[in-house]
Amino acid sequence: MTISVKKLVTAVSASVALMAAGHAAAEIKIGVAGPITGPVAQYGDMQFSGTRMAIKRINEAGGVMGEKLVAVEYDDVCDPKQAVTVANRLVNDGVRYVVGHLCSSSTQPASDIYEDEGILMITPASTSPEVTSRGYELIFRTIGLDSMQGPVAGDYIASQNPEKVAVIHDKQQYGEGIATAVRDTLKDKGIEVAMFEGVTAGNKDFSSLITKLKQADVDYVYFGGYHPELGLILRQAEQANLDAVFMGPEGVGNNDINTIAGEAAEGLLVTLPPSFDEKEENQELVKDFEAANEDPSGPFVLTSYSAVKLIADGIEAADSKDPFDVAAALRSGTFETPIGTVEYDEAGDMKSFEFVVFEWHSDGSKTPVN
Amino acid sequence: MQDLLYFSQQLINGLTIGSAYALIAIGYTMVYGIIGMINFAHGEIYMIGAYTALIAITGLTALGAAWLPLILIVALVCAMIVSSSMGWAVERVAYRPVRGRHRLIPLISAIGMSIFLQNYVHLAQGSRNIGFPDLIEGGFQFGSDDAFQMSLSYMQITIFITTLICMTALSLFISRSRTGRACRAVSQDLGMASLLGIDTNRIISATFIIGAALAAVAGLLLGMYYGSIDPLFGFIAGLKAFTAAVLGGIGSIPGAMLGGLILGVSESMTSGYLSGEYKDVVSFGLLILILLFKPTGLLGKPEVEKI
Amino acid sequence: MAANNYKHALFCAIVTLIISFPILGLNLEAEGVKITVTGAETSTHIAILLAAVVVFVFQAFRDSFMGALGKLPKLNPLVNKKPMEQSKRVKLESWIMTGLVVLALFWPFFVSRGSVDLATLVLIYIMLALGLNVVVGLAGLLDLGYVAFYAVGAYTFALLSEYLGASFWVALPAGALLAALFGLVLGFPVLRLRGDYLAIVTLGFGEIIRILLNNWTNLTGGPNGIGGIPDPTLFGMEFGRRVKEEGNTSFHETFGIAYSGEHKVIFLYLIALVLAVITALVIRRFMRMPVGRAWEALREDEIAARSLGLSRTAVKLSAFTIGAFFAGFAGTVFASKQGFISPESFVFLESAIILAIVVLGGMGSQLGVILAAIAVTILPELAREFSEYRMLIFGAAMVLMMVWRPQGMLPMRRIHIKLKKQE
Repeated sequence: MTISVKKLVTAVSASVALMAAGHAAAEIKIGVAGPITGPVAQYGDMQFSGTRMAIKRINEAGGVMGEKLVAVEYDDVCDPKQAVTVANRLVNDGVRYVVGHLCSSSTQPASDIYEDEGILMITPASTSPEVTSRGYELIFRTIGLDSMQGPVAGDYIASQNPEKVAVIHDKQQYGEGIATAVRDTLKDKGIEVAMFEGVTAGNKDFSSLITKLKQADVDYVYFGGYHPELGLILRQAEQANLDAVFMGPEGVGNNDINTIAGEAAEGLLVTLPPSFDEKEENQELVKDFEAANEDPSGPFVLTSYSAVKLIADGIEAADSKDPFDVAAALRSGTFETPIGTVEYDEAGDMKSFEFVVFEWHSDGSKTPVN
Repeated sequence: MQDLLYFSQQLINGLTIGSAYALIAIGYTMVYGIIGMINFAHGEIYMIGAYTALIAITGLTALGAAWLPLILIVALVCAMIVSSSMGWAVERVAYRPVRGRHRLIPLISAIGMSIFLQNYVHLAQGSRNIGFPDLIEGGFQFGSDDAFQMSLSYMQITIFITTLICMTALSLFISRSRTGRACRAVSQDLGMASLLGIDTNRIISATFIIGAALAAVAGLLLGMYYGSIDPLFGFIAGLKAFTAAVLGGIGSIPGAMLGGLILGVSESMTSGYLSGEYKDVVSFGLLILILLFKPTGLLGKPEVEKI
Repeated sequence: MAANNYKHALFCAIVTLIISFPILGLNLEAEGVKITVTGAETSTHIAILLAAVVVFVFQAFRDSFMGALGKLPKLNPLVNKKPMEQSKRVKLESWIMTGLVVLALFWPFFVSRGSVDLATLVLIYIMLALGLNVVVGLAGLLDLGYVAFYAVGAYTFALLSEYLGASFWVALPAGALLAALFGLVLGFPVLRLRGDYLAIVTLGFGEIIRILLNNWTNLTGGPNGIGGIPDPTLFGMEFGRRVKEEGNTSFHETFGIAYSGEHKVIFLYLIALVLAVITALVIRRFMRMPVGRAWEALREDEIAARSLGLSRTAVKLSAFTIGAFFAGFAGTVFASKQGFISPESFVFLESAIILAIVVLGGMGSQLGVILAAIAVTILPELAREFSEYRMLIFGAAMVLMMVWRPQGMLPMRRIHIKLKKQE
C-alpha cells in the first residue's frame, strides 16, 4: 500500500514536471516594458491593458505556430536609468520580443541593448524620430513620429489663415520635438511664428507667458507637451481674457485636462491617432475590452495591442522564431491590425500613420474636425 | 501706452506670486530666526494645506453648500488646522530630538522629512495633477478693446488683501502679544530667555504652528490662482519662498515680504522680457548673488559669529 | 503629573487624527471630468484610528515605557563590548574591504547579466557616495547639488564623443578633470558661506546646471539628450556585435569566440570596479594626509581650526574639488553604461539619494558608505512590490537615522596613533 502511494506520488510529480517542461518549451515570451509606477503610470496602464488583451486573444485563437504567448511585464518608471536595468533583465530572462518602452528617453537607451542582443522591439508610444533613425535592424514602432504629427497640426493651423501663431513647448523631448516640427511646417507655409518658447514642466504659474501671448496678439497657440501644463495655460488664459485658439498633441488628449481646465478646455484642438476604437472592424475587439472592464479608447491601448499582433504575425510570416527573420518578414510583408494596414519602411517606421485633428469639449468628449 | 500696460500687467503678475511667496517665506524666516535651521519640509506643509483645502471645498460642494464665503472660510480653517498640526508634529518628531546637535543633522533630518511628506501625499492621493475649482472669477479690464488689455482679476486682489491682512496681524501679534514678545526674546537669545522663565519649547512649537498656518493660507490662495495641485508642487515653491526669505534677510518678517515681492517681480519680468525658460536660473542666480555680496539679506541684521 | 500626561497624550492622539484623516482617509478622485471626494477603504480608517490609539497609549505611559526600555538588557552585543582595539579594527576593516573586492572580482562570471548590470550601477553609486563623503562626511560641507558634477562628467564624455569622436579612455580623465574644475570654479565664491546657506546655494547651482543643459539645445541636444555614446574598448577591441569605429577590431573576433553580450557588461563592470577601488584607495590616502586631517578639523570646529592657521578656503576648496573629481569619474562610467544621457537623469532627487547613502552609511566611514550604497540600490530591486514605498521609507529612514543614530550604521572612528610605552 505504502509503496503504491509512493509510486503514485512519484508518477504524479514526474508527470507534473513533464507537463511543466513541455509547457515551458511551447511558450513565446513577450516582454512588456513600461511605467507601472511613477508620474506617467496612467499611460503605462494603457500599454499593459492593450498587450494583455492581445496576448489573451491570440492564445485563445491557438497561439503562434502552436505555441502560447506569455507576457513578462517590467516597470521602467519612464526613467532612462531604470530602462537600461530593465533591458538587461529582459536579456537575462531570455525574452526575444519586446513591446515597449513608452517614453522616448527610456526607449532610446534600451533599444541600443536590444539591437545588440538580437531582441526585436516594437514601441507602441515613443514618437521621437531618434528612436528609428540609427539604422537599427530590430527596432520598430506602431505609432507615428513627432515629425509626422507636427506637420498635421501645422497644416491645419495654416489652413485657417492665421495672422500670427505662437508655438510653446515644455522643454521635454516629446514636447519640444513636436513643437519644432510644427514651427518648421508653419514657416514653410509662410505663416509668421511670433513666439517660440519653452516653459518648465511642473511649473504652475503661466501668467507672464499669457501676458506675453496677449501682447503678441496671436490667433493660434500650439503647445507641445502634456496635459498638466496645457490645462493650466488654458485656464489662466481664459481668466486673463486671452482670445486665441489652442492646439496640442495626443499627450494632452485625456480627461485630466478637463478636470484642470474646466470650461476652458472647450474648443481645444488636439491631433490624435484616429479613434481606432470607433472603427467598424474593431467593434468586436472593443466589446472584449469592455467585457474585461478595460477602456480601449486611450491613445496607446490599440497601438500596444497591434504591437503584440505584429510580433505574432511576423513570426508566422517568417515561419521562424529568430528575431532577425521576423524583422525581415515585418519589413517585407503587409499586416492587418486594429490600427489599420501596416507596412514598414527600412527604418522600422510605418509607411503611413495618420493623425487626425479633433476638437475637444469641456465634457471630455471629442469630435473630428474637417 | 501699450508698453506701459504690458509692463504693469507683468508687475501685477509678479506681485501676486510674490505676495504668496512672502506668506510661505514667513515660516522659514521665523523658524530660522529662532532655532537657526532651515525647515526644508515647510514647502510640503504648504502643499498639504492646499490638498486639505481642496478636499474641504470638494466635500462641501458635494454636500450641497453653495454660499461661496462659507465654503472658502471652512476650507481655510480646515487647511490651517491640518497644516498647523502637521507643523507641530514635524517639529516634535524630527527636529526637537536633534536640536542642539551639529548643524548638518537637523538639516538632513528636515530633508528626510520633506521627502517623506511628499511621498506620503503622493501615496495617499496619487501623483496626478488635480484641478482646483475656479471659485473667484472675473476681474477688471484696463485699456481699449482692440489693443492690449491689462487685467486685474478678483483672485489677484484677494491674494493681495489676504497677504496684507495676514502680515499686519502677524506684525501686531509679534510686537504686542505676550507670546510675540516671548518669540522675540527667544530669537535674541534662547538660553537667556529660558533662564528668564520663558517656556522655550512652547515658543518654538508656536513658531512652527504660525508658519504652517500662513503656509496653509498660501496653499488655498495659490491653489485657486494656479488651478491645479500635485504632491510635488510644494518643494519648488518652498525653495522659492526660502530664496525670498534669504533675499529679504532671514529672521526678518518685513524682509520676507520684501524678498517675496522682489523675487516674484524679477521672475515675471524675466519671463516677460526674456524667456520663461530662464526664470528659475534668474531666481537661483539672484539668491547666489545676494548670499555672496550681502549674506544677511536686504533687511537682515549682520550676524556675529559666536565663539 | 499623571493627569498632565493624559492630557498631553490625548492632544497627541488628536493631532495624529488631524494629520492623517483628511489626507489618508479622504481621496480626491477624477470621475470623468469632475473631481470628487470619496472615503478610503474601511481598513485605512481602522489603521488611522489604531495609529491614534497607539500614539495615545505610548504618550500616556511614555515614562514607564522609557524606564522599562532602559532596564532591558542591551540586545546589541556590540554596545556592551569595549570598542575594538584600534589596530585590530583597522586591520579588520581592510580585510573586509579586500574580501569584498576579491568577491566582486570573480562574482560576475557566475551570475546573470541583469545582476552584473545592476552591480555596475551600485559601483557608480559607490563612487558618487565616496566622493560626496569627502565633502559632507569629512569636510562637513553640506552639498545638495552634487549631481551637477556627475552631470558634468557624463556630459563631457557625451559631448567629446559626439563632436570629437573621443573614446572612453580619453573622456574618463577629461570628464573627471572638468568636473573638478567646475568644483573649483563654483566652490571658490560659495565656500565662505556658512553650512546651511552653502546647502541652498549648492542646490541652486545643481538646478542651474541642469536647466542650462536642458535649454542649451544646440550643444547638448536639450531634452533630447545625447545618444550613441560608445562603450569602452579594450586596447582597441570593441565589444559590440559589429565594429562601430574604423580601425577597431571586435573582441569576439580577435579571440575567436562566439559573440556574447555578456562580455561587454562584464567588462564595463570590471572597469567600474577598478575605478571604485581607485576612488576608495585615493580617498583613504587623503584621509591620512594633512589635508584630510584639516578637513575634519574644520568640520569639528571652524574657528579653532582657523586660529591654528588653517586656510579655510583652501581646505574647503580641496574637499569640494576632490569630491567633484570623483563625481566626474562616476558620470563618465554612467554615460558609457547608458549609451544615452539626458538632463532628466540629473535631478535633485539624485543628489538626495547620494546624500542619503552617505548619511545612512555613517558620515566619514568608507566601509559604511559602501554597504549603504549596496543596500540603497539593491533593496528596491529585491522588493519591487514595495517600490512605491521606496522614497517614503527613504525619507523616514533619514529622519530616524538623524534622531537615533546620527553617526550612521558604521560610524567613522578617527585613526590615531598611540605612542608606545617606554620599556
